[in-house]
Amino acid sequence: MTQVINAAELDAYLLQVVQALHRTVNYALPRLNDEKEADKALEDCEEILTLVLDGRVADWLG
Amino acid sequence: MFADKVEAKDFEKMDPEYQDLVRKVLTIQSDCEIGGPHLYVESMLPSAPTRLDKLIVARTATEEIDHFRKFAHVAGDIGLDVSFVLSLPNQKRYVETFRGEIKTWEDFAVFGCLIDRIGRYQLEEFIGCSYRPIEPLLPDIINEELGHIDYGETQTRELAARGGESKEKIQRALDRWYTKALDMFGHSVSARSERYVYWGIKRRTNAEARQEYIKEVNPLIESMGLSVPDPLQGRHYL
Repeated sequence: MTQVINAAELDAYLLQVVQALHRTVNYALPRLNDEKEADKALEDCEEILTLVLDGRVADWLG
Repeated sequence: MFADKVEAKDFEKMDPEYQDLVRKVLTIQSDCEIGGPHLYVESMLPSAPTRLDKLIVARTATEEIDHFRKFAHVAGDIGLDVSFVLSLPNQKRYVETFRGEIKTWEDFAVFGCLIDRIGRYQLEEFIGCSYRPIEPLLPDIINEELGHIDYGETQTRELAARGGESKEKIQRALDRWYTKALDMFGHSVSARSERYVYWGIKRRTNAEARQEYIKEVNPLIESMGLSVPDPLQGRHYL
């Protein structure tokens, strides 16, 4: 059985999102005392998470 | 009792009831994975007490999104598209617990302690699952859920230990989520629950899993100096 195209594309997209979020969190964790760096990372996380939780799959895969 | 293992390529040869139950469980599991971040990201990411807490909120949401991705992948292999749950309004989530919003740190803490623990229970149901593609997902996902539970438990314990208003707030949050937690197991008398067990998709009935959960969390709550809420108060599924 082959995977439906939508699911495969969605999987690849979300994997990139998850990797980007992990990179951002892991970058910030050792820099908690650097207010500017940590806050920038948190802003980036918020932006990415908001995008994902909007759930506009057609836009992502379009 | 069905004891075989089913691969994705053989899924369509299976009894229609089996196919229906696997589709249902994959859809609900996907919905529950993404339902958590929908509850807390908007409010908790900007308002968590410290930068470290904020990063942990972000990491927790990231891991839940990844769990969704993994279940959506397994669903996609049998032609089931669960992407619609990504944009479901909270009020339309399959499980009542996810139909709201977490707005306080106390609620976030107790959610991790009690509700992510149920996430672990639900995932453990699939250990030895007759639908083979689910099992390889479990070790990593359960391990990450254990991290969420541990963080929630630590936060809950610390907030309780502060006493006074902090303890009162965490007790109120516990009262809210305990009821939802017990309801998450569903009706004790459930024909569908028995069919899941019959087909080897789940290991325990709703009633068995709920009893084990109560046995685990009640002593934990007491060890924090908090009161175990009335297990019948406000319940929808007994």
